[in-house]
Amino acid sequence: MIEVGGLVIDGLTVKYGGNVAVSDVSFAAPVGRITGLIGPNGAGKTTTFNACSGLLQPSTGRVLLDGEDVTRLPVHRRAQRGLGRTFQRMQLCESLSVRDNVSLGRESATAGSRPWSHVWDGRGERHAAIAATDEALRLCGIAELADSPVVSLSTGQRRLVELARAVAGGGRILLLDEPSSGLDHGETERFGDTLRFLVRERGSGILLVEHDMSLVMRVCEHIYVLDFGTLLFDGTPAEVTDSVAVRQAYLGSAA
Amino acid sequence: MTEFAPFIVAGIATGAIYGLAAAGLVLTYKTSGIFNFAHGAVAAAAAYIFYELHGVHHVPWGLAAAVSVLVFGPLLGLVLELIARRVAGVDSATQVVATIGILLVITGVSTARYGVITIDFPQFLPHGTFEVADVFVGYDQLITVLVSVTAVAGLFAFFRWSRLGLQMRAVVDNPELLDLAGSRPASVRRAAWVIGCCFAALSGILLAPYLGLDATLLTLLVVDAFGAAAVGRFNNIPLTFGAGIGIGVVARLITKFVPHNQSLAGLPSSLPFLVLFFVLVLSRSGTFPTRLQHRRAYRTLVIPIAVKRVLVVVAAVTVVFLPAIVGAKLPVYTNAAIYVTIFVSLALLVRTSGQLSLCQLTFVAIGATTFSHLTVGAGLPWGIALVLAGLAVVPVGAIVSLPAIRLSGLYLALATFGFGILVERLAFNFGVMFGRGGQRSAARPDFIGIHGARGMFYVCAVVAALSILAAVVINRSKLGRLLRGLADAPVALAVNGADAKITRVIIFCISAFMAGIAGALFLALVGTASGAASGATFSTMSSITLLTVLAIAGRSLVAAPIIAAIAYVIVPSYITNAHLSSYLQIAFGGSALAIACLGGSSGTVLSKLTSSSAWRVARSPVTARLQLRSEVGS
Repeated sequence: MIEVGGLVIDGLTVKYGGNVAVSDVSFAAPVGRITGLIGPNGAGKTTTFNACSGLLQPSTGRVLLDGEDVTRLPVHRRAQRGLGRTFQRMQLCESLSVRDNVSLGRESATAGSRPWSHVWDGRGERHAAIAATDEALRLCGIAELADSPVVSLSTGQRRLVELARAVAGGGRILLLDEPSSGLDHGETERFGDTLRFLVRERGSGILLVEHDMSLVMRVCEHIYVLDFGTLLFDGTPAEVTDSVAVRQAYLGSAA
Repeated sequence: MTEFAPFIVAGIATGAIYGLAAAGLVLTYKTSGIFNFAHGAVAAAAAYIFYELHGVHHVPWGLAAAVSVLVFGPLLGLVLELIARRVAGVDSATQVVATIGILLVITGVSTARYGVITIDFPQFLPHGTFEVADVFVGYDQLITVLVSVTAVAGLFAFFRWSRLGLQMRAVVDNPELLDLAGSRPASVRRAAWVIGCCFAALSGILLAPYLGLDATLLTLLVVDAFGAAAVGRFNNIPLTFGAGIGIGVVARLITKFVPHNQSLAGLPSSLPFLVLFFVLVLSRSGTFPTRLQHRRAYRTLVIPIAVKRVLVVVAAVTVVFLPAIVGAKLPVYTNAAIYVTIFVSLALLVRTSGQLSLCQLTFVAIGATTFSHLTVGAGLPWGIALVLAGLAVVPVGAIVSLPAIRLSGLYLALATFGFGILVERLAFNFGVMFGRGGQRSAARPDFIGIHGARGMFYVCAVVAALSILAAVVINRSKLGRLLRGLADAPVALAVNGADAKITRVIIFCISAFMAGIAGALFLALVGTASGAASGATFSTMSSITLLTVLAIAGRSLVAAPIIAAIAYVIVPSYITNAHLSSYLQIAFGGSALAIACLGGSSGTVLSKLTSSSAWRVARSPVTARLQLRSEVGS
């Protein structure tokens, strides 16, 4: 196994009862690059994500973060080590405004496991939190929505709030689960730019599960293709486009 | 062996009744997802019907039993099903409040009609005994066990092999699918409620001869079934029944070893709650069935900031001049100020993070007794003892929050309920609290010009104002956002690095601290508290009444505790009526139930009535949970 900064999955197998959802999958999402994870519905993408962030315990296999085995760590410990994520089924706080939702990303990170930090932050951290929230709102293009209640937003806008929360949280590796579904064309363009900005300016690593192929092909440097829980193919966008196996997985064997 | 045998026989008989009641409870919970806190009240109501027919009007017992179990039970079941359907869409905190409302209405009606004294209940089953291997067994005991076993075995077989039983199991898993397949989930649920309430009614008339007829006692004793239901994971009917018998036997065996009039005299009757609390505390997450939480928008009154400022000034001026206005009634207002603090401590849990505490007055009682030990016992200065009394309750709050760490809203409510009754039955009897003729007393404040009834009032009013201020600050602070996040999207907190366990424990500790301070003030106000009086003041029944009053008072952290204290303390003090406490129970329970059925918030109900545009749509935090696995992914 190569030592890389970022996320490495090694021989991951996840079972739901007797059903094998993900079987012996290995891949790497290093920092400083956008990695794509694609595959038809039910291929095991979200399951893989859940195993990475600790919401699911794999049957076998390891999850490595910056070379360290985090397979047995609870969700919040992995997040404290720099693993952030968004959800396909969004997890927003409905009773708060957009700004409060985004700042929860930063505040959860600083609260961590220290009781006192749940209750109180020093002046410096409070200012830093406001700055981080403002920047995340701006990067994700939702600064003008900051004071709206989350309840009033469209699906696409809610996705951006989720992204902004993960960005404000400051994770070095971001797992994004179908972040562009519900976005219009302009928003998707902007979204792609935001991802590249994060990689370029912050040195983040991004693992992107996405159905919008043009977005995936445009922003990802390397793409892994999952099908029926196994790794079918991996390569650059051009290689993936040319692959017969990938086309068959997506369009059926008749193609 | 033979010396234990009578206890085992008696234990099996009462245990079978608990098991019977618990099986009915599990059936309704499984199929509807609504946990019926009023299950025991249904049993009590059936027993009263039986008593009215057989004991008062001398109807033959067979007919009376048939009417209470086969007519009254099903009718109540139909009513409860309607209510369950109405509240199916609200958050589980509101669902709990709704069934607690039913409980209060039923016990209120019973006590208004029959009084709070225990009525001797006729033993209608044959009296004689027979001997098996040197052990005397009563025919009544044999019949009780046979009836219970037959009923539960019948239910199990029905669930397993009949078509309706199969549909009931299906409705648990996927009601939409059942609907598509041509069976109506509503009628399947209705059948479950009818059967469940029949079981409750049957357990009520079987249990009453052993206990006598006492609405509260009977309601809570059937609630003993909660312990058995917890062992059965609120899911497994045979295991639940077996656990009921096991708890019955062990409880009886303890009575052999623990004689009466001792501080542990409450141990047998608190055993089911010991079981309930520890099963919930020690279970791993994912052990119990949980359901999808519902979010529902509710409406709040938008008050402009200028108006708010005026209101605060008016309130402050009123408080300053109140002693001069109300004269001899001042202690009532002092008590109301203390209850404002108690309601704030409760609102902090319910309104910010959707966590329910059904044992808030247990915290208050512990604060009161600690205060007494610190001032009268250790001779500490008044103010220091007050703060220390609050701090002493903090670890208790932390212990109670343990189930909150891993379990969803309903099970937390159950654990706090179990804890409340446990302390009430067991620890209240200890010498350190109110037991063994023990009497706790405390003095009123007397320092730098603050003394007497007025001084007491101002101290309580300042504490109330500070607790409201604290609640508002917490709600707007980082902790407040974390709590709201915890309620709405706990997974999001975790994936950003927050350890949600800590957030939960912190808010419980703060709430317990406030309740402890209120307890200390309460004892200082009343001067002395002895066992019997404080039993009622600090009982779990009173705790759950507080929750319904708070539900009626609305969702604001500022206005709701004040409105609740006025409704709970001040208004009743101006009414003289022999049955006042019963009528209040009915009024509070009924209103809370009505609000739950009409959308879960008094603001929503009022906005419908007034159709005013001043009501703004907001969202309630859903009841807190930490069931990470089932909620994410597709």
